[in-house]
Amino acid sequence: MKTRPKIALFQCQWCLYSEPDQCWVDNELPPSIHLIKLPCTGRINPLYILNAIQGGADGIVISGCHPEKCHFKEGNLSALRQHDEFLNFLDYIGYERSRIRFVWLDLQDRGRIQRELADFEAEISKLGKVKNLATRIGTPVGDQYV
Amino acid sequence: MSEIKVKLKAEIQRLLNEDIMDMVIAFKKEDSPLRPQPAFFKNPDELEDLEYNSLCQNNLATYLTRYPQDTRIGIIVRGCESRSVNALIVEKQHKRENLYMIGIPCHGIIDVRKIINRTGEEISDYSEDQDEVSVLFEGQEVKFPRKEVLHDSCLRCVHPNPVNADILLDDPLPEGDPAVVRQAVESFETMDKDERYALFRHEAERCIRCYACREACPMCYCTECFVDHATPRWSESEISPAGTHAWHIIRAFHLAGRCTSCGACERACPMDIKMTYLTDKLNENMLEEYQFEAGMDDETQPPFASFNLDDKKRFVL
Repeated sequence: MKTRPKIALFQCQWCLYSEPDQCWVDNELPPSIHLIKLPCTGRINPLYILNAIQGGADGIVISGCHPEKCHFKEGNLSALRQHDEFLNFLDYIGYERSRIRFVWLDLQDRGRIQRELADFEAEISKLGKVKNLATRIGTPVGDQYV
Repeated sequence: MSEIKVKLKAEIQRLLNEDIMDMVIAFKKEDSPLRPQPAFFKNPDELEDLEYNSLCQNNLATYLTRYPQDTRIGIIVRGCESRSVNALIVEKQHKRENLYMIGIPCHGIIDVRKIINRTGEEISDYSEDQDEVSVLFEGQEVKFPRKEVLHDSCLRCVHPNPVNADILLDDPLPEGDPAVVRQAVESFETMDKDERYALFRHEAERCIRCYACREACPMCYCTECFVDHATPRWSESEISPAGTHAWHIIRAFHLAGRCTSCGACERACPMDIKMTYLTDKLNENMLEEYQFEAGMDDETQPPFASFNLDDKKRFVL
């Protein structure tokens, strides 16, 4: 059976999906998508992204508020530079940049998160498993594989 | 070269005798002529051990952060070291008024490994001039052109002259060619992504996690490094591929916009792992996108510590 790609979804808790969407994200996400809620996209350290990749995520979606509409005024702006540079850097050492996607959401974007996730999942399925970065998956612990 | 040593000695003596500085960070002779060690002079009498030549391979700025801010420190700075010191001042790791930078325009640091690989370990004497270095190996004098034994990152050096130094002990040298800086990055970039990863892997997976690169780096001064975190454990601390990859990626990334390309990390590495192709790439991006070069003055904040509303145009989706 073909398994669905694993996706880590980093969501800023203020980025105001419309209510039904937020409800869907909280309760009805498919099991292959792992939700991580954060106080702001500015809180995302590049380590989180790397850790998600090494922990076995095939793709990563980061959803936050539009740059000028941050709840903390400029939290996501301060992080943008780092994220952008980090993705360039991962690309430089051979990891596919397209495995990480930013989505800026807003109250008006009703139903968009589902579309984005479905689209992203299709794209990641084409790319297959992560080859160009060592992950912790399959590391033997004692004599067992976890 | 020895005239520099005389001038240096006189200058350090002046600093210590007239109580201008509490201490001076410089180099001293060691048992092996190939490896002068960092030395911390507090007393003018100790100065007979003073050494300065192209084999002094540590970046002395590393030791600044280990002293309280009110210690008055005199420090020998070459091009890259002076920029590290400036970057540390920007990050408020020491006060400019408590520092005295003795600038020496640098002809490049000699890579000891390149000499040892050609001769052998038992070298009993070393001397150098502008174009040539010579060593005494098993009673025989062996000469090398300077260019052949320079460290890789010194071959790609653009700023050999100290920036913001209080005194210059020699005439300034011509600046390097910016096109040469790209060599390491360029040869890496011409490969496709699988080859790039293969090379990164080849380098990173030799790592024995001794963290000598971290200790040698002036900009790695965090009291708790991310690899030492126990909960959450960000990167595996044993020598697994995942752990070494994470270490090399994040180590380089934490230096983005702060690295001065001194190459101290590579010189410190016991496994001879190449690392500057990672930091050089980040430096290049910083220069292209934010017109920023670390340590060129002691006021400008690095790009990641600041941001601009215009940034949003650059991240359109």
